Amino acid sequence: MLELTGLTAGYDGGTVLHELDLSVPAGSVHAVVGHNGAGKTTLVNTVAGLLRPDAGTVRVNGRDVGGRPAHQVARAGIGLVPQGRRVFAGLTVGEHLRLSYRPPRPAKGDGGRAARRERTWTPERVLELLPRLGERRGHRGSELSGGEQQMLALARALLGTPRVLLLDEPTEGLAPVVARRIRELIGTLAQEGISVLLVSPSPALAVQCADTVTVLTSGRVTARFEGGPLRSDPGALHAALELSPLPSAAVDGPPASKASTGTVGTGEDGAEADGALKASVPDAGPGAP
Amino acid sequence: MDVLDAQLVPAVDGVAYGLLLFVVAAGLSLAFGTAGVLNLCHGALYAVGAYTGAELSDGTWEGMLLGLAAGTALAGAAGVLLAACTAPLVRRGHLAQALLTFGLALIGGDLLVEYFGSDAIPVRIPGALDQSVDLLGHRYPAYRLGFIAMALLLAGSGTWVLTRTRAGAAVRAAAADSQMLATTGRSPRAVHTGVLAAAGALAGAAGVLGAPIIGPGPDTGDTVLMLSLVVVVLGGLRSLWAILFASVAVGEVQTLGVSLAADWAPYLLFAAMALVLSVRAHRGAVPEPAGEDGGGAPAAAPVSRLLRALARARRPRPGSARRTGIAGEPGNPEVRRGGTGGGTGPSRTASAAVAAGRLLPGPVRRAGPALALLAALVPLPVLLSPYALSLVGYALALGLLAVSVTVLTGYAGLPTLGQAAPFAVGAYTTALLAGAGWTVGPVQVLASAAFAALFALVTSPAVVRARGTTVLMITLAIGELTVVAAGELKSVTGGTEGLIDFPPTQALWGGEPLVDESPAYNYSLAVAACAIALTLYFLRSPAGKLLIGTREAEDRMRASGHPVTRYLLLAYVGAGALAGVGGSLLTTVQAYVSPADVGFEIAAFALLAAVIGGTRSVLGAMFGAGLIVFIRDWLSASWPGHGPLLLGVLFVLTVYLLPHGLAGLRTARPPIPDRRTPAPEGTP
Repeated sequence: MLELTGLTAGYDGGTVLHELDLSVPAGSVHAVVGHNGAGKTTLVNTVAGLLRPDAGTVRVNGRDVGGRPAHQVARAGIGLVPQGRRVFAGLTVGEHLRLSYRPPRPAKGDGGRAARRERTWTPERVLELLPRLGERRGHRGSELSGGEQQMLALARALLGTPRVLLLDEPTEGLAPVVARRIRELIGTLAQEGISVLLVSPSPALAVQCADTVTVLTSGRVTARFEGGPLRSDPGALHAALELSPLPSAAVDGPPASKASTGTVGTGEDGAEADGALKASVPDAGPGAP
Repeated sequence: MDVLDAQLVPAVDGVAYGLLLFVVAAGLSLAFGTAGVLNLCHGALYAVGAYTGAELSDGTWEGMLLGLAAGTALAGAAGVLLAACTAPLVRRGHLAQALLTFGLALIGGDLLVEYFGSDAIPVRIPGALDQSVDLLGHRYPAYRLGFIAMALLLAGSGTWVLTRTRAGAAVRAAAADSQMLATTGRSPRAVHTGVLAAAGALAGAAGVLGAPIIGPGPDTGDTVLMLSLVVVVLGGLRSLWAILFASVAVGEVQTLGVSLAADWAPYLLFAAMALVLSVRAHRGAVPEPAGEDGGGAPAAAPVSRLLRALARARRPRPGSARRTGIAGEPGNPEVRRGGTGGGTGPSRTASAAVAAGRLLPGPVRRAGPALALLAALVPLPVLLSPYALSLVGYALALGLLAVSVTVLTGYAGLPTLGQAAPFAVGAYTTALLAGAGWTVGPVQVLASAAFAALFALVTSPAVVRARGTTVLMITLAIGELTVVAAGELKSVTGGTEGLIDFPPTQALWGGEPLVDESPAYNYSLAVAACAIALTLYFLRSPAGKLLIGTREAEDRMRASGHPVTRYLLLAYVGAGALAGVGGSLLTTVQAYVSPADVGFEIAAFALLAAVIGGTRSVLGAMFGAGLIVFIRDWLSASWPGHGPLLLGVLFVLTVYLLPHGLAGLRTARPPIPDRRTPAPEGTP
């Protein structure tokens, strides 16, 4: 269970997230979609402890970890699969697994722990889920393909046996078949009882695997949808995204033409982004040489 | 075979020496590679171990083991302390850490000398080791063989820990991406502390065991630091094997080289380093833009581009049209005023400068602070005693050096600890020219600048392709080796005695020799003003913007078709020439030059002056140099014998209290905000 209340964060330049409230029950997938610069990665980094929140709380199973350093946040049960994978280039896959594996500490008189220990993610169990990594055990992080790196980043997060898993654009730059595999994995992990918080610029990914979808615009929540109804009719989410103004006014395309390219929902990830791009090109035309 | 046989002992000595360096340098490399700390007090940690070992060893095994344990523990604890000191500086970059650790090295060195005295301490080793054994027909000290075994054991176990254990994997992961290490539940800060403690312990253990080979004496720390920096520069930071190879090579140069070619030995290290660095530069550590190497673009292209950029600055502006008639040379009126300032008498020029600042618009007003400084400096001969005046003259020379450091560090993004080298070239050029009868000032200045620029050109392949802390290390090595060469090349430089008794400089052709302080000061001020004016003119022109662009976004500059490496080359050569001018002034002002005037300490002062000035301010650097000269003189008078200690404190205070230099005090916020560790959106 992950609960964010009044979360406010930013950089030297100014506040990016404004009093964000959000909760992800155990076993469910919550997707946050928004345009570039809406604050998605800031949100993930703040929850993971890489960025210190200016205000608000981050609760994991009721325990506030907001403002703690990243390694304590990780020990409290938050796993991060960062944007761009960020695997350790010089370490082999085997070393990644060995380094990331954190067996839970035996607790005194905690009945829940025993059950939890059975569900501990060991390197063996992770390799069962991600067999490709086993084949690449002796290879360095820098020698892996993008999809394999994504699997490795996921394995790294799972080996801490997280209660909450943060996924930052998990299908970014991956081939459609690998992206589909990632989507399946997200579903599997949610069934394990993990709270999954997923951020993505693509509404397609959100529609396909989320129980709840939040639209983030310039660091504020502007719409929230239940996943079930969205799967039959993704139009509402698209409308919410179209209506949200881009952070920089210069890139704003005409809503009508974008809506006409809205074939998303059935297509592959990234189709929406392409559509938006196409729509904005004619506008830029007259100004360009 | 006879030659081989005769050289066996020095060759084995070289192995022992090399392994000693390896243990030290591996710690240095580890601290830098994984904790990101360029630890300039690593040599002091070795000295701590060496002194502790010498103090506790009484010729018994127990004494030796006690010494080993105590020395290792002490140096390890110092490493933990260092981690605590550098932790607040994590976001401030390597330069701040280098300054801090240099300050700590000065403090530590002074305290060690204070406590143990300034004489080298003899080390007593256990009787069983204190004898000779037979080695292929030669008598060889048993201790050294034992040391070789011990060092191999240390090196082997260290390598095993780093490459085979989980802790080692964590250390390497911290080096690659400490944030991601944190997301696996490990504290990067704990790993950093552990690494610095381990590096310190290694240095301490090397100190205890190596005390019979190097040290312990007052120079031990510097020597060891210097040699290990050379090793790290040669071996790179990637592979322990490369460092091992480089260590043994340096060890052999220091022993076998001395034995084979005693006359050449001081330069062998220099030559080996130059060779390796130029080979590595040739292989292209930083890839050049594709079009250039293949297309064979003329080398003059960047020059002409910079000249064109300069010409753009020269174009008359509406506001300056009226002034053109008065100042003669638009854009750099300081040149003219500075040039005549020394000759025509102080008061008139000063008032003219102030008047110019009030009446004239545009570029002249931007030069206001420079003119104000000039106006403050011009009347000094009337106000100050001859001794104080010579100090100010010395500060001017050091100030030019500091400005050259500012150009490289603040504008080109090449933090340097080696600008004392072209400074030395300039100083010796002027002294030698004067000795040969060329006493005319402008000739001396221009020749010094030319030779210093040539020196920079020769050393540039090693520098301009490197970035960040590697530049600090490489330039440090260049500077040190230049000083060594200056001390050894007795026939030319007079060795450590220095050059003295050459005729004084004449300000102009047929002028009076500058014997007294006052005319010598006026001459220095005129030369310095010209040099500063040219520098400011260059930095404020579009050419200066190209350098800033290179520093801020090198890849983007490359992608826009700018031959970045050649811009940096020009900046490096130009800064070399500027330092050369400073060196020429140094010789003129003090009528004497020796290696002590151009050593590492001076290079560090110049860097400190630049940092005090805010690293991007030319006048700030001049001011910083003045402040340092003043403080040093004041300290040596009021608390003799503890100059290094208090300067070390000054370094440390500067790092903590003036994060953006004096310029940072004026502007509430730094002009360019530091990068915060968690980068916004999308860091790969």
